[in-house]
Amino acid sequence: MAVLEQTPPAVTPQPAPTGPKKGLRKYWHLYAAISPFYLIFLGFGLFPVGFSLYLSFHRWDGLGSMEWAGLSQYQYLLSDSDFWNSIGNTVVIWALATFPMIFLAMVTAVMLNSAVRFKGLYRVAYFLPNVTSVVAIAIVFGSIFSTNAGMVNAVLNAVGIDQVAWLNTPWGIKVTIAALMTWQWTGYNAIIFLAGLQTIPGDLYEAARMDGAGPIQTFFRITLPLLRPTLLFVLVVSTVTGLQSFSEPQVLLQTSSNDSTFAGGPGHSGQTMVLYFFQQTFDNNDFGYGAAVAWGIFLVVVLFSIINWRLVQRRGD
Amino acid sequence: MRLSRRGLLRAGLASTAATALGGLASGCAVPTGSTGRNMVLWYWSGGLSDTVVKNAKARYDSSVDLDAIQIGGQYRSKLITTITGRAHIPDIAGLKGEDMAAYLPNADQFVDLRTLGAEKYKSRYLSWKWDQGIADDGTMVGFPIDCGPVAHYYQFEIFRRAGLPYEPDDVSKELNTWEKFFDAGVQLGKRVPGAKLLTDVNSVFENVVQQGTQRYVDKDRQFIGDQDHVRRAWALAVEAKRRGIVSDLVSGTPDQQSAVQDGKLPSQLNASWASFDIKNGVPKTKGRWRVAQMPVRPANNGGSFLSITKACREPEQAFEIITWILDAANQAQGYVDAGLFPSTPASYGLKQMQEPDEFFGGQVTTDVFGPAAQKIAVAYNSPFDIALGQPLKDEIKNVGVLGKDPKKAWSDAMSKCRRIAKHLGVSY
Amino acid sequence: MASIKESRTSIKGSRRRGIALHLPLIVSTLISAFPFYWAVIMSTHSSSEIFSYPPKLLPGTHFLENVRNLFDAVDFFGSMWNSLLVAVSVTFLVLLFDSLAAFVFAKFEFPGKGLLFGLLMLIFMVPAQLSVIPQFVVMAKIGWIGSMTALIVPAAANAFGIFWMRQYMKTAIHDELLDASRLDGANFLRQYWHVALPVVRPGLAFLGIFTFMGQWNDFAWPLIALTNPNNVTLQVALSQLNGTHGTTDYGIVMTGALLALIPLLIVFAIGAKQIIGDLAKGAVRG
Repeated sequence: MAVLEQTPPAVTPQPAPTGPKKGLRKYWHLYAAISPFYLIFLGFGLFPVGFSLYLSFHRWDGLGSMEWAGLSQYQYLLSDSDFWNSIGNTVVIWALATFPMIFLAMVTAVMLNSAVRFKGLYRVAYFLPNVTSVVAIAIVFGSIFSTNAGMVNAVLNAVGIDQVAWLNTPWGIKVTIAALMTWQWTGYNAIIFLAGLQTIPGDLYEAARMDGAGPIQTFFRITLPLLRPTLLFVLVVSTVTGLQSFSEPQVLLQTSSNDSTFAGGPGHSGQTMVLYFFQQTFDNNDFGYGAAVAWGIFLVVVLFSIINWRLVQRRGD
Repeated sequence: MRLSRRGLLRAGLASTAATALGGLASGCAVPTGSTGRNMVLWYWSGGLSDTVVKNAKARYDSSVDLDAIQIGGQYRSKLITTITGRAHIPDIAGLKGEDMAAYLPNADQFVDLRTLGAEKYKSRYLSWKWDQGIADDGTMVGFPIDCGPVAHYYQFEIFRRAGLPYEPDDVSKELNTWEKFFDAGVQLGKRVPGAKLLTDVNSVFENVVQQGTQRYVDKDRQFIGDQDHVRRAWALAVEAKRRGIVSDLVSGTPDQQSAVQDGKLPSQLNASWASFDIKNGVPKTKGRWRVAQMPVRPANNGGSFLSITKACREPEQAFEIITWILDAANQAQGYVDAGLFPSTPASYGLKQMQEPDEFFGGQVTTDVFGPAAQKIAVAYNSPFDIALGQPLKDEIKNVGVLGKDPKKAWSDAMSKCRRIAKHLGVSY
Repeated sequence: MASIKESRTSIKGSRRRGIALHLPLIVSTLISAFPFYWAVIMSTHSSSEIFSYPPKLLPGTHFLENVRNLFDAVDFFGSMWNSLLVAVSVTFLVLLFDSLAAFVFAKFEFPGKGLLFGLLMLIFMVPAQLSVIPQFVVMAKIGWIGSMTALIVPAAANAFGIFWMRQYMKTAIHDELLDASRLDGANFLRQYWHVALPVVRPGLAFLGIFTFMGQWNDFAWPLIALTNPNNVTLQVALSQLNGTHGTTDYGIVMTGALLALIPLLIVFAIGAKQIIGDLAKGAVRG
C-alpha cells in the first residue's frame, strides 16, 4: 500500500487507451491493484482445480490408490442419462425460479426507491428469508406444500381446484423447489437493484418529467437502461448460483434416514446437477467420475452465462 | 449511523491483525498428530453414549488424555479428507455401518485388530456383526458398536379393531409370512377405512433384500441384482402395491406423521432405533404401540464400528479403551442413552434393558429385538452395492409413488444397472 | 409499478397512492417474515411439540430451557467470537481488495484486461464443491489447519465482489469526476480513496453485508479445516447438535439458528442504511 502511495502523478494512465505503449511497466500499479484475487487463486485455487482435472482421468474411491482411466469418465458422462436428466431438472428449476424472482425484485426495488414510509421495516423483512437457515425454510415449505395438510392445497380446495401431490409428482417437486428459491432470493436481489437505482442521478428523472414522460416511459427510457449493468450482474450471478443449487432440493426432499439425501425425490425429479455430483462422489465413492461430473457442470454454467451475458449486453452497457 | 471509511479501516485492520497473530499462535499449538499421551477419538453425535465416553476419559486419565470429539455434518468425508491429506488423523475413529463396505477395501489405512488380540473377545459379540468388520483379506478393521435389528411396529388398538392378532406373540406367530402379512393388510383396509399397512413399497423391497445373505454385487465383483433373491423382493413389493396395502405418502413428512397419529398407518417395519423417531415424531401415540417379529426372519438396518487408524502411536492403549467402551455393561448404557442396540448379547439380560417401556404399553422391547439380533444372517456387503442397488430402489419407488408399470420399471432398472456395472468394472 | 417521478415531486402524496404502494409491500413483508416467525415458534417448543400435528401456531414456553440446553451443549460465545473474527476480517479484506480491483476493471484500460477479467469470471463459475481434499492438503502443508487463518486468507478476495463492484462503479463513478481529479494531480490511490470510495458507498455496503453473511453462515470448508473442536466457528459448533437416528432436538437446533442470526440482523441494519440514503443526497456529489 505504502509503495502505491508514492506513485508519481505523471504515470497515472489515461482512462482511455491512447498514446504509445511504454511497456507494461506503465501499468504496474493497475496490475498490483487487481493482483490479490489472482494471487489467492494461484495459492489456494489452482492446485485443487488442477487436482480435480487430474482426478477426472482416473478411478479413485477416496482412500485407495488411483487408477488411470483415460477419457472413459467423460465418455460415460456423455452417455449418462441420469446426468442429462439432472441438467434438465436444474435448468427447469432455475428458469422457474429466476424469471419471477428478477421481475418481483425489480418491482420491489422501484417501490422501495420511491419515497415510502417504514422503509427500514420493509428492508429488514425482505432480508429475513435470506438469513433464515435453509433447513428451517425447507421444513416450513415441506409443511406448506404437503398433500393433505398443506396450506397451498387448502387454498386450492377452497377455490374448487383438486389438490396436488406437490412433493410426489415430477412437476410438483420442481415448482415447490422453485417457489422456495424465488421466495428466498427475491429480497436479496431487490436490495441489489435498489443499490443500482440509487446510482441514477435525480436530475435525469427531473429532465424526463419536464419532457412530459409518464412513469412507465420513465422506467423504460431511463431506469432500465441505466440499470443494465446491475441487471447483467443479477442475471449472471443467478445463473452461476442457480445452476449450482443443491441444498434446497436436498433438505426439502430428504425423507427417511435410509434414503439417499442426494436422490432428489421420486423419479429423480428434483435431482440437480450438484446433487448428482454429491451422489456419485459420496454415495458411490466414485471420486473420479464425480470430478468429471463437476467439470460437466462447469461447462453447462459457462455456456448459460455466456448466453445470458450476450442477451443483456446486446445493446452495450 | 454512517460508517466512516477511517473507522471501518481501523476496525478491520485491528481484527485482521488480531486474527493473524491468533492464527500464528494457535498454529504452533495445534498438534500435528498423536503425541502418545494425547489420544484423539472421533465419533458423531449419538454415535456413542456420552456417559460412557466421559467415564472412559476418567478411567484412563492416568495414562492418556482421551480427547473425544463429536464431528458434525458429513462425517465420512471429513475422515477421508484427513486420512488422504495425512494430517490431523484421529487415533480412534468411529465408522458408520453403511460406510463399512467402502472402508474395508482400504483396510491398510487401519490397524488390524487381530494383531492386538481381538480374537479373544469374539465370542462375546454377535457373530454376523463381528464378521462385518472384517475385510476380504481377513484384516479386522472395525470393532462392533451397535446393530439395528428390524421388527414389526404396530398399533395394538387398531389391529384389534381390524380383527387381526394384536398381542405381540400372536402377531409374531400369525403374521410370519409375507403372504399372511399382506392378507392382514387387506383385512385392515376393509375393516378400518382409509388405513394402510405400510407407508411405501420400498420398505417391503429393502427389508426382503436385507433378510437374505446376498445384496447386489458379490465377492467376485459380479452383479447379482438380477437374480432370484432380488426378483423375489421386487415381486413382493409389486404385490404389496397391487393389493393396495401401501399408502401414497412419503415417510417422514407431516402427511405421514399425521396418518400415523390418526391410526391410518398403524404399522411399520423398522429398526430398533426407529423407536426414537416414533417417540419424537408422534409423541401422542404413547402407549398405543407394540413390537413383534417381522415376517419370515429378522433383517438388519444400521449399526457402526470403532477402528484404530495407522496414525495411532499407541494401538495397544487404544484397543484397551475400545474394548472397555464396548463391553456388555457399557453397551447397555449406550442403549439407554442413545438407543444403540447392543452387539453384545450379554447386555440384553441387564437391568437397563429389561425395563418395561410405557410408550409400548409396558412391553419389554428387548424381548423382541434381542432374539431378532441373534438371528440375523451374515451378508456380504460390496463397495458397489450402493451404486448398483440405487437404480432398483429408484424404480420400485417409481412403481409405488408414480404408478409406473412394474415391467417397464424392472427393465429400466436393469438397463441402468448394466450401464453402471460396466462403468464401475463390475461384471454383469 | 409505482411512479418514481410522482414520489419525487409530491412529497405528501395522495392517500390512495400510499395504499397502492403499501399494500403489496405489506403483503410481501408478511410472506417474507413468516419463516422467521416459524423459527421463533420452533425455538420456543420442545422437540416433541414441534412434530406434533396439527402444527403449533403460537410460541410455546420452552425457549429458556432450549437456550440452557444449547449453552450446555456448545461453547456458544466462544465460537461466536471466532465467527465474528473471521467474518469481520474477511469482510474488511474483501471490501478493500475487491473494490480496488473493480475500480481498475471499471475505469481503466491496460493490456490483458479482457483476458484477465474473462479468467476471473471463469474462476467464478468453477463449482465450489470441486475438491476439498487438495485444499486440505495445501493448508496442512502450510500449517494453517485448525486455525482461523485457513478460513480468512482464501476468502480475502473473490470474483463475485469484484464483478459486483465493477458493474456498480460503471454507472456510479462518472468519468468527468475522474478527469477532474486527474487534472488536479491526483494519483491512482488518491482517485480510489477520494473520488471512487465516497460515491460507491451503497455498493460497498451491499458487498459488506453479504460477505459478512456468507462468512457467518459458511459451513462446508470450516467443518473440514477446523480440526480442534474447542476452536471452531458458530456454524460448525451448531452442526454438532445434529444427531443420527432421529435423536436431533429440533427445538435446540432452531434456538441456536435463531440466536446465531442476531449479529447478522445488526450488521444488516447498519449496512442497509448505507444502501438507501436520502434521495436528496443522491449518489453523485460535486
